[in-house]
Amino acid sequence: MLNALWIVLLGMAIIFAVLGILLLVMFLLGKLVRPRDKQEEKNKQ
Amino acid sequence: MATGEFLGFLNLSWQAVVMLVIGGVLIWLGIAKKVEPVLLLPIGFGCILANIPLGGAAEAGGFLAVLREAGIHTEIFPLLIFIGVGAMIDFEPFLQRPYTILLGAAAQFGIFGTFFLAYLLGDGWLHVLDFSLQDAASIGIIGSADGPTSIYVATTLQSKYTAAIVVAAYSYMAMVPIIQPPIIKAMCSKEERALKMPSVPGTVSQKTKILFPIITVLVVGLLAPKATPLIGSLMFGNLLRESGVVERLSLAAQNELANIVTILLGITVGGMMAGTEFLRPETILVFILGIVAFSLDTVAGVLLGKLMCALSGRKVNPMIGACGISAFPMSSRVVQKLGLEANPHNHLLMHAAGANVAGQIASVVAGGVMLMLVPMFI
Repeated sequence: MLNALWIVLLGMAIIFAVLGILLLVMFLLGKLVRPRDKQEEKNKQ
Repeated sequence: MATGEFLGFLNLSWQAVVMLVIGGVLIWLGIAKKVEPVLLLPIGFGCILANIPLGGAAEAGGFLAVLREAGIHTEIFPLLIFIGVGAMIDFEPFLQRPYTILLGAAAQFGIFGTFFLAYLLGDGWLHVLDFSLQDAASIGIIGSADGPTSIYVATTLQSKYTAAIVVAAYSYMAMVPIIQPPIIKAMCSKEERALKMPSVPGTVSQKTKILFPIITVLVVGLLAPKATPLIGSLMFGNLLRESGVVERLSLAAQNELANIVTILLGITVGGMMAGTEFLRPETILVFILGIVAFSLDTVAGVLLGKLMCALSGRKVNPMIGACGISAFPMSSRVVQKLGLEANPHNHLLMHAAGANVAGQIASVVAGGVMLMLVPMFI
């Protein structure tokens, strides 16, 4: 029973941790990639 | 040779008769009611084939048994389906709103909550049902609202209830428009449902769309390695789509590959519904726990949606939390409909779709996490 409780707690914690890190990486990627796109738009104009 | 040895109807058991009727009902649901016809029709037909006495289709050496060995036990079918799914999904709504990944994470609580409940009823405490830790985890995974993930996890954990779990997962995905609205309405006031969300300016660059599947595989694979086959096939399909240089392969993944594997997968799953194994009290409980899983998913997603609503100064409609369930695109449509009912100018579809595709990623991660944790506690 305690094992199952551990699986629930650890499971949710790992999911939030993994997806939180993915969110952070995507946020950083957005910061890195977006400015260049804006520059490209400016160049096109 | 006695007639009983070659006349099928003389060997009909009551279980076979019930399963033949169930197979017919699944086909009827698919054709007449348009409930997931792409899956229920082959599943229903496979069910009929498996329950014809002396037919041998699902017995050792029969073609359904061969397909089961080759495609389900090796976990190839769900992974191939995921390549097709990845090629079909446009992750742009999510990439515009990356925070929705947290809604996807919250909505996976249904998996773990149901797992706990199933284990409580089984070997964990009450012992009223024959649910081992692996069975309970496989039943919980119905809450991923994702057929291939359910098949993959249930097969890997060698659950006795794989067929029931798969049928429940696909059936309830089709029933999302019935399961979710009452829960959302009970949890969100009309004022909350009417809440408009600000539109997201700009589009996502092609470079981001190409990097996204690669980064996702690396992040998820390195942190939750057991999820690598699932997330890898999903993201490979998406890379085919977004790379823009292999349109032929992308279209093949979306159409030929997905369609062929769906046919084989459906009829094989149906072939696993032999009456003697399928008609047990546990099967009914699997279906009941499936509804519990979908409901808990919705509740947890909406609760985090409410928190986000409060923290963002009411810029997030809490209803989109329900879309973290992953049943794409059904739950997005549910939220869009409820939003429009509360406020005819409230268009939430793209916001909901963001949470919905984020839920797809989250459910795959949840499947991998379950596969990682369960063997550690056996």
